Amino acid sequence: MLAFELTVQGLVQGSIYALIAVGLTLVYGLLRILHVAHAGLFTLGGYFGVLITNATGSLPLAILVAMVVVGVLGILVYRLCYQPILDQPPYVALIASIGLFIAMEEIYRLVFGPFGISYTDAPLTDTVTLATLNLKQGEILTMVGTVVLIGGLAVFAGRTRMGAAWRATVTDPAMAESFGIDVIKVRYLNFFIGSALAAAAGVLVALLNNLVEPTMGSVPSYKALAIIVLGGLGDVRGTLIAALALGVIESFGTIYLGTILDRDAIAFAFLIIVLMIRPQGLFGRA
Amino acid sequence: MLKLVDLTVGYGAFHATHGIALEVRAGTVFALVGANGAGKSSTIMSIAGHTEVHGGCIEFDGQDITHLPINDRVRRGIALAPEGRRLFADLSVAENLMLGGYARPRAEEAANRDMVLDLFPRLRERLDQRAGTLSGGEQQMLAIGRALMAGPKMLMIDEVSLGLMPKAVDICYAAIARLRERGITVLLVEQSTKRALEAADDVCVLESGRIVWSGTAAAARQDPAVIEAYMGLAGDGAHG
Repeated sequence: MLAFELTVQGLVQGSIYALIAVGLTLVYGLLRILHVAHAGLFTLGGYFGVLITNATGSLPLAILVAMVVVGVLGILVYRLCYQPILDQPPYVALIASIGLFIAMEEIYRLVFGPFGISYTDAPLTDTVTLATLNLKQGEILTMVGTVVLIGGLAVFAGRTRMGAAWRATVTDPAMAESFGIDVIKVRYLNFFIGSALAAAAGVLVALLNNLVEPTMGSVPSYKALAIIVLGGLGDVRGTLIAALALGVIESFGTIYLGTILDRDAIAFAFLIIVLMIRPQGLFGRA
Repeated sequence: MLKLVDLTVGYGAFHATHGIALEVRAGTVFALVGANGAGKSSTIMSIAGHTEVHGGCIEFDGQDITHLPINDRVRRGIALAPEGRRLFADLSVAENLMLGGYARPRAEEAANRDMVLDLFPRLRERLDQRAGTLSGGEQQMLAIGRALMAGPKMLMIDEVSLGLMPKAVDICYAAIARLRERGITVLLVEQSTKRALEAADDVCVLESGRIVWSGTAAAARQDPAVIEAYMGLAGDGAHG
């Protein structure tokens, strides 16, 4: 029964990783940029979640506002930080992104204070018993919310005209443009969706930990990079599987390897082992 | 319909063509032939807006389009089935077709799609299949069909027969003949001289980025040896 519990706990954590990493892999797939500052938007999502819930008492409203506002900020990050340097070699955008991420953390420290903030009346903390499993409502929301958001994304990308235009642009931007697809709009859309998902992850993490702090994006940012490499850079399906797998492996690792390796170290040990065996990622074609 | 005046195109410091001039008459099939590396694809890609123009100009429908953005050219009626097809491999056949007509009003989509599926019935059976899983011939049909979804006045096809089974080549050329009957101008690039001479009204032979022979296909058919001598190739289907 412990194995089952650990798996479910791992899937909760993996859902968070998935929501963060999908945006990162979408940006990489479209622009070949490692968007480190993505984790800064995740943090901001967490702040919006706590502040708006505390102000209005409505968690759904907080999630919605966080996703929309952070989504729009994601577009601004692209427009102001990346678009002017798209012609430069990829490391230029990477350096800009790391710089922006550090700046974001410092801004949060200045604006929201260095010590972190919590929900005044934390929502969804009751425990629900499903069969033999005890889960917090927040954990259930995390899993259900991830399924709904990623499912919605799949339907949008797979079933709509704009979704097809988006996938076509990822495959061959020049051909897509030649058929009248506005590739700039596609990039905006890409950043909006990726950032909104990261914001949702931020609100959920704030809920699970009942804490947001300026540096809460640091570890997820490195882990999300590890996940998208594992999933095959730009491969959304691979990224989702890698995110969930990492969540589960961490969950088991903390129990069985906890005395040797710390939780975060397990992720990178996993990354190193997988890349030694499959340098193209778990699902990449060689 | 299309006029190239003293056109020099290339990539960076490299010139793929050196001041070529030609005219494609409306409603005709024009074949650009020549050996590999003669500058055929660069010429076509510059008309579509994908290759840099270093000198000269491109006129379409009496207007200078030399420096127009790619998608403006599509809106003016120039469509391209490029070399290597460049289909959206992970998307379905239906999606590839839909995107071909992305710039057109939605209302035209159904009619254009029927026209394409009528031209290539094989695609109708494959609508839900991923484009990357089609055979070479089907991919060429889809590339042509996708271009036609834009409702072009002029269709450009790069390397019609390259790498295709003879049966698929027949289907593609039959389609070209039907498009001509409908009044669509076709500019094609072909390494197989025999095929090109059969299908075209006018022919132009490129060698090392220069036009070495041009005239009607009828004249060329009278004396195909002339063209083959220019191309340094012997016979049908030779891919030099």
